[in-house]
Amino acid sequence: MKRFLSALAIAGLAAGLLSGCGASGDSQANRDTIRIGLAAPISGTQAQYGTAFKNGAELAAAQINEAGGIEGKQIEIVIQDDKGDSNEAVNVANKFVTDKSILGVVGHFNSSATLATAPIYNKNKIVQVSPSSSAPAVTNAGEYTFRVITTDAFQADYLADWSKELGYSKVALIYEQSDFGIGLLDVYQQSAAENGFEVVAAEAFNPGDKDFSTVLTKIKEKQPEAIFIGGFYNEAALIAQQAKKLNLDVDFIGVDSLYSEALLDLGKESVEGFKLIGFFYPGGDNAEATRFNEEYQAKYNSKPDTYAAYSYVATSVIIKAIQEQGAEREAIKSYLETLKDYNSATGVISFDENGDVITEPSRLTIKDSKFELYQ
Amino acid sequence: MFLQQLTNGLTIGVIYALIALGYTMVYGILKIVNFAHGDIFMIGSFLGLFFMQEFQLPLYLAFILSAAVTAGIGMLIERFAYRPLRLADRIVPLISALGVSTLLVSLAQKLWGTEMHPFPTAFGSRTYTFGSITFSEIQILILLLSILLMLGLHLFVTRTKTGTAMRATSMSLTNAALMGINTNRMISLAFAIGSSLAACAGMMVGIYYNAVYPTMGYMAGINAFTAAVLGGIGNIPGAMLGGVLLGLVETLGGAYISTQYKSVISFSILIIVLLIRPSGILGSKEINKV
Amino acid sequence: MIKKTAIAAATVLAIVLPIVLQLVNDYLLHVVIMIGIFSILSLSLNVIIGYAGQFALGHAAFYGIGAYAAALLMLHFHLSFWIALPASAAIAGLFGFLLGSPVIRLRGDYLGIVTLGFGEIVRLIFVGWVDLTRGPMGLPGIPAPSLFGFVFSDKLEFYYLILLLLLITYVVIHRLVHSGVGLSLLTVREDETLAQSVGIRPNYYKLLAFTVGGFFAGAAGAFWATYISYVSPDAFRYLDSVNILAMVILGGAASLPGSVLGAIILVVAPEILRYVSDYRMILLGLAIVLMMIFKPSGFWGEQYRKRNFYGNVKKVGNK
Repeated sequence: MKRFLSALAIAGLAAGLLSGCGASGDSQANRDTIRIGLAAPISGTQAQYGTAFKNGAELAAAQINEAGGIEGKQIEIVIQDDKGDSNEAVNVANKFVTDKSILGVVGHFNSSATLATAPIYNKNKIVQVSPSSSAPAVTNAGEYTFRVITTDAFQADYLADWSKELGYSKVALIYEQSDFGIGLLDVYQQSAAENGFEVVAAEAFNPGDKDFSTVLTKIKEKQPEAIFIGGFYNEAALIAQQAKKLNLDVDFIGVDSLYSEALLDLGKESVEGFKLIGFFYPGGDNAEATRFNEEYQAKYNSKPDTYAAYSYVATSVIIKAIQEQGAEREAIKSYLETLKDYNSATGVISFDENGDVITEPSRLTIKDSKFELYQ
Repeated sequence: MFLQQLTNGLTIGVIYALIALGYTMVYGILKIVNFAHGDIFMIGSFLGLFFMQEFQLPLYLAFILSAAVTAGIGMLIERFAYRPLRLADRIVPLISALGVSTLLVSLAQKLWGTEMHPFPTAFGSRTYTFGSITFSEIQILILLLSILLMLGLHLFVTRTKTGTAMRATSMSLTNAALMGINTNRMISLAFAIGSSLAACAGMMVGIYYNAVYPTMGYMAGINAFTAAVLGGIGNIPGAMLGGVLLGLVETLGGAYISTQYKSVISFSILIIVLLIRPSGILGSKEINKV
Repeated sequence: MIKKTAIAAATVLAIVLPIVLQLVNDYLLHVVIMIGIFSILSLSLNVIIGYAGQFALGHAAFYGIGAYAAALLMLHFHLSFWIALPASAAIAGLFGFLLGSPVIRLRGDYLGIVTLGFGEIVRLIFVGWVDLTRGPMGLPGIPAPSLFGFVFSDKLEFYYLILLLLLITYVVIHRLVHSGVGLSLLTVREDETLAQSVGIRPNYYKLLAFTVGGFFAGAAGAFWATYISYVSPDAFRYLDSVNILAMVILGGAASLPGSVLGAIILVVAPEILRYVSDYRMILLGLAIVLMMIFKPSGFWGEQYRKRNFYGNVKKVGNK
C-alpha cells in the first residue's frame, strides 16, 4: 500500500510538472515575440553541429532584433534538442507542432531525423527548413519541407565533373556508412562512369571510427590518384593524417561537409592541398558570406563553418517570409514556395517545386592552412 | 600489403593488450567485469590532453601524471561503486558498473564537449619505410612502451611480495584474508594498476590517432574485453596474447574480408570463444563447485 | 473491495486520460504513448532479467527486429498491421530463441557481454545490409493501421491501441510469472544447480524467457514502426538497451508494476529535465549507481512470496 502510494505520488508529481511546462508553451500566437523553432543536436555525439546551428540561427535573429525586430516584435529562437536521434527528433517535432506560437522550424541536422519528422510537420502544416539534410529522399518528404543545402546527388555529381576536369583516371572512395555517405557513393560512382574515369575502391567506415590504417593500406594497393572522402571533417582529418603516415601520397577531394576550421586544426599539414566544393566561402565574391563571417566572429569569437552558415540562411529565409507575408504558418509556406534569387551567405538560392535549393558551389582548396578559392 | 597490415594489426594489438590487462586483473580478483574500464581508458587520454594543454607539461610528465590521477580515479570507483556491493547478487555490481560508465562518459562530454580533440604534439610522427612497410616513430614507441609495461607488470606479479599477495587474493579472497593479506588493499591496487595501464594506453592512442573524444572508450573497452577473454580472463600473459591476437585478426580480417564489418568480426570472435572455450587460450578450466 | 474500486477508477482514468490530455496539449499524449511503448519493452526485459536472472544487455535488438520486420512486411508485402504485428512479434521471439540457445550456458558477466555483442551485430546489420533495410537511410512511409476502412490518423487512436497492447502484455506476462512456470523461472534464477536437482531444466526455462522477452519487445517495435511511420537503425543502439535496462532496475527487477513505474520515470524525467539536459546522462549514471547501493530492489521491488514451503504465511517485506 505504501509502495503504491509513493509510486502514485511520483507519477502525480511528474504529471503535474509535465503539464506545467507543457501548458506554458501553448499560449496563442498573440504574443509579443515571434517564435521560430530550432531542432538540432544540442547534446549527444553531434553536439558540435548543434552548436553551429544554434549560433547561426541566433545570429540571424539578433541582427533583425537589433534593427527593431519585425513590426516591433522581437524574434525568439526556441531551441529543442533532438540529440541527433530520430526518436528524440520525433518527440521534438511533436512538441513544436503542438505549440501554436511556433511559426516555423529550422531543422533537423541528420537526414534521418528530418525524414522521421517530415510527416509530423507536414501533417500539422508547419514549415520545416533543414540546413543540412542532404539525402535525396528529403526531396519528396512533403510540401512543407524545405532545405537550403543541395542534395548529395547534386554535390557528388558536381564533384565527379570536377574530378574529370582535374584529370583523374582512378579515384578511391572512403565513405561514411550513413545516409550521407551512401548517398554520395551511389551518385559519384554513376557520374564517374558517365565521365569516363574509374572508381577503383569504395570502402565504408562507421561514424566514430578512428582507425583507417586498414582501409588506407587496402586502397594504397589500388594506386588511385585521388581519394574522395564522403564524410565529415573529423574523420577526414584522421584519414589524411593516417594516409601520410602510410606514405600514401594522393589528392583528397570532398564536398561541403569538410568545410570547417576543425579540419585545419585536426589535420594540420596533412590536409594541405585538399580540394572541396563549398557553398559557404567568406573570402570570395559573396558579400553576404563575408558579412556573415565578420558578424559571426564578432559575436562568437570563432570562425563559422558550413553548418553555422546554413543554419543562418535557413533562419533568414523564414524571417524574410515573416517580414514579407506576416507571422502566420501558411503565409510562410506560400512565400518559401516561390522564393527565387535570394542572396544568402551560401550563395544565390531559389527553391524548386520540391523545396530543394538550386545554387552554384565554389571550388575551394586548402593552402597554407587556410581555405582558398581554387584557381 | 600483408606485411603492412601485419604492422597495423600489431600496433592495435598491443594497445588492446594494455587495456585488457586492466580487465583481467580486476576480474581475476573480484570476478566481475568492470564495464567502466573502457571509459577509464578514455579519461586517461583526456587527462593527458588536459595536462599538456592547460599546464604546458612535457609529454613524459603528462604520461606519469595522467597515469597517477587515473589510478586514483580507478580506486575511487572501486571504493564507492563496487565495494559496498561485494556481498550482493552478481548482477548488482554489473549494473553499477554500467552506471559508472554512463557517468564517466557524460561527465567527459560535459567537461570537454563531444567533438574530437587533437593531441598537441608532433612527437613520433616521422615515418620510416622498409620495402612495402611504412611505420611511424609513434608505432615503435607504442610497441616498446607496451612491452616494457607488460614485462614490468609480469615481474611485479611474480617476483615481488605484494604481487604474490595479489595473485593469492585472486585465487581465493577468503583464504588470502586468512593468511593476513589486506585484501581490500590488494583490490585497490589491482584497480590502480589496471587503470594506470589503461591511462597509458589512452595517451598513446590519443597521440597515434591524434583524436580524443568521450565515446572512444566504448569500442576499445569491448575489444579489450574480447582480448582478455580470448587469452583467458584472469590470466595476465593471456591478456597480452589475446590483445595481440585480436589486433592481428581484426586487421587482417578487415583487410581481406570487409573493413566495414570489422566490429562484427571481433564480436563474433568473442561469441565463438565464449561458446567453445570460455576459459580462453591460456586460461584454466574453472570447476564449479556446488 | 478497495482493489475493485481502484481497478474501476484506473480503467475510467485510462479511457478518459487521452481526451483530457489532447485538450491540454497534444504533446503530452505523445509522451503517454511513449510510456506505453517503453512499459512493454521494460516488461519484456524484466522477464529475462528479473525472473530468469539472465543479465541480457542487447534488448534493443529485439525491439529493432520487430520494428524492421513490421516495416518490411507492411511496405513490401502490403500486409495489414493486424497481421504484421503478431508476425513481427513472432520473428522477434524467434530471434530471442536463437540468441538464447548459445548463450544460456554462460554466466552473468559473460552473458552480458555476449548479448551486448549480439545487439551490436544486429544494429550493424541494420546499418550495413542496405539492400534490405536501406541502411541508415531508413524505411519511411510505413502505413498507419486501418480498422474496417478507418485509418488511424490521430494520436488518440494510437493511444487506445498501445493501451490495449500494454494490457495484453501485462496480463500474459502476469499469468506467466504467477504460475508454475514463473516459479520455475525464479528457481532457475536463484540457483541453477538446485533447480536441476529437483527436475527443473534450466535451459528450457531460460530459453522460454528469452523467447517471451523477444516476442513482446518485437510487438512494441511493430507498434513503433506504424506510429512513427519511419524506422532507422539509430533508434536501436546500445544506449537504448541501457535505457530499457535502467527502467527495469529502477522500477524493480521481477516486479511487473515496477517495470511500468520504471518506464514512467525514465520517459518523463528527460522531459522535465529538458532544461538541464546537459546533466541528464550524468544524473542517470549517478542514479543507477546509487540505486544499486541503496535500493537494489528498485522503487517498487519484488515482494517476498507470501507463503513459504510449508504453507505458512511469511511476513511481507523488502528484499
